[in-house]
Amino acid sequence: MQPLAELNRDAAPAPRGMIEVSGLNHAYATRQGPVQALENVALTVGQGRFTVIVGPSGCGKSSLLMMLAGLRAASAGQILCAGRPITAPDPDRVGVVFQEANLFPWLTALDNVAFPLTLRRAPKAERQARARAMLELVGLGDAATRYPHELSGGMKQRVSIARGLVQDPPVLLLDEPFAALDEQTRMAMGEELLRIWAATRKTVVFVTHSLTEAVYLADEVLVMSARPGRIIDRMPVPLPRPRSYEMMASAEFGRLRDRIWQQIKAPAR
Amino acid sequence: MSPGRIRALIILAVLVLWEALPRSGLVPVLFLPPLSLTLAVLAADWPTFAAALGVTLSEVAVALVFAVGGGLLTGALVGGLAGPRRLLLPVFSSLYAVPLVVLYPVMTAWFGIGAESKIAFASVYGFFPTMLATAAGIRTIDPQLLLTARSMGATPAQRLLLVILPAAIPTVLSGLRLGGALVIVGVVVAEMLIASAGIGYLVTFARTVLDSPRVFAGVLLVLLIAIGFDLAMRWVERRCALWSTAGRPQSAPAAAVPT
Repeated sequence: MQPLAELNRDAAPAPRGMIEVSGLNHAYATRQGPVQALENVALTVGQGRFTVIVGPSGCGKSSLLMMLAGLRAASAGQILCAGRPITAPDPDRVGVVFQEANLFPWLTALDNVAFPLTLRRAPKAERQARARAMLELVGLGDAATRYPHELSGGMKQRVSIARGLVQDPPVLLLDEPFAALDEQTRMAMGEELLRIWAATRKTVVFVTHSLTEAVYLADEVLVMSARPGRIIDRMPVPLPRPRSYEMMASAEFGRLRDRIWQQIKAPAR
Repeated sequence: MSPGRIRALIILAVLVLWEALPRSGLVPVLFLPPLSLTLAVLAADWPTFAAALGVTLSEVAVALVFAVGGGLLTGALVGGLAGPRRLLLPVFSSLYAVPLVVLYPVMTAWFGIGAESKIAFASVYGFFPTMLATAAGIRTIDPQLLLTARSMGATPAQRLLLVILPAAIPTVLSGLRLGGALVIVGVVVAEMLIASAGIGYLVTFARTVLDSPRVFAGVLLVLLIAIGFDLAMRWVERRCALWSTAGRPQSAPAAAVPT
């Protein structure tokens, strides 16, 4: 793969992972005193890997993702992406998909996908061609002229994924992207995301509170504890790819899912 | 019967009564001159009415620029920045409740009895609702949209121009509608109080000499200005807020998109 080869040549020494987080701590002040949200979080995500962060609500997993996106600053620690620190949003390196699709209601699907390119003042022809290609990728080639209110929840989130990919960043971050969808759509979207991931070979970090979703999607699951948020388990998911719906009924799937549950249910003190 | 047809019938009934009541002697002509008489006076003295209409319309136009321009700018500032908001919003909200018309005599002292005092008064009168609506519109923008724009590397200027302004358009438009209506009210009221030209002046002058048909001819013209403004606003709203009208006919994407 050309991009990886170039990356390895440029960066010396070669980075161990696309994303490297070390010594990340985050505390914020409240009226009751300081709250430790993240405690000594370290993680490495290899190039092209699909990592899922799972944990109880309020464990700081979304905060962690916002920090990876450069949208929030940590109190201490370092975040490297493609060998360079993340201090501010950098759409060249990182695309972000939020829980809500957050599409601009006054723009068509195509213009929404092209929006990051509009911000960079890319030529109109290039914007449209890129955005159209991304809509094709997510299976919405025929919805380009529709407005968000004319799209279903799943379609909106697919547009949002297309927008996250339009600048071709090596990393895609997703913050509980399917949490607002109904169960059926959610299953279909998981499958769809894996297909898109296989087609683009992005490095993916995916935050969720769904154990099933975590095991179904991930190469590796990082389990976080309740506040203060720490990574208490790194669980490789050895299930073969492509993943299928039938795997969810397997004993192996159940065992992996149970291992996460046991830790979230009784967090280490 | 459709609401539109009922509306048309009500308007027709009002026009018929306007003609029939004075003609039948039920209402004295001094109180209500027949529609036909009013229109005849309007036509016979058209140069005078046209000149007055021109004066009023130009005052309205200039005051609209000040009220709307100032209202949008200040509203964007007050709505978008916490400092100015805490400083100004309580003051502006309180001032909005003051009957500003008490300031009009002061304005004639400052600007004279010509167009300037009308423009000044109507500008201030229309400024407050436009400004408050814009501030409210900007404050109600979904913060998630701004976060998303930031994740895509949008600069503060890009967030203002490409996210905040388009998102604020529906609220701003309703502010414009209110502000514009008040500008018309402000100009006409000012003309009726202290003036030497314009429709309001014409109406007041005709009233003092008990010339009812001319009073009603003037009222008719003010009505036309208000209706014209409403139609213009509807046109602007249709142009600007296409996306907010859910349920509009869907285009045929497959046919419209060349690939």
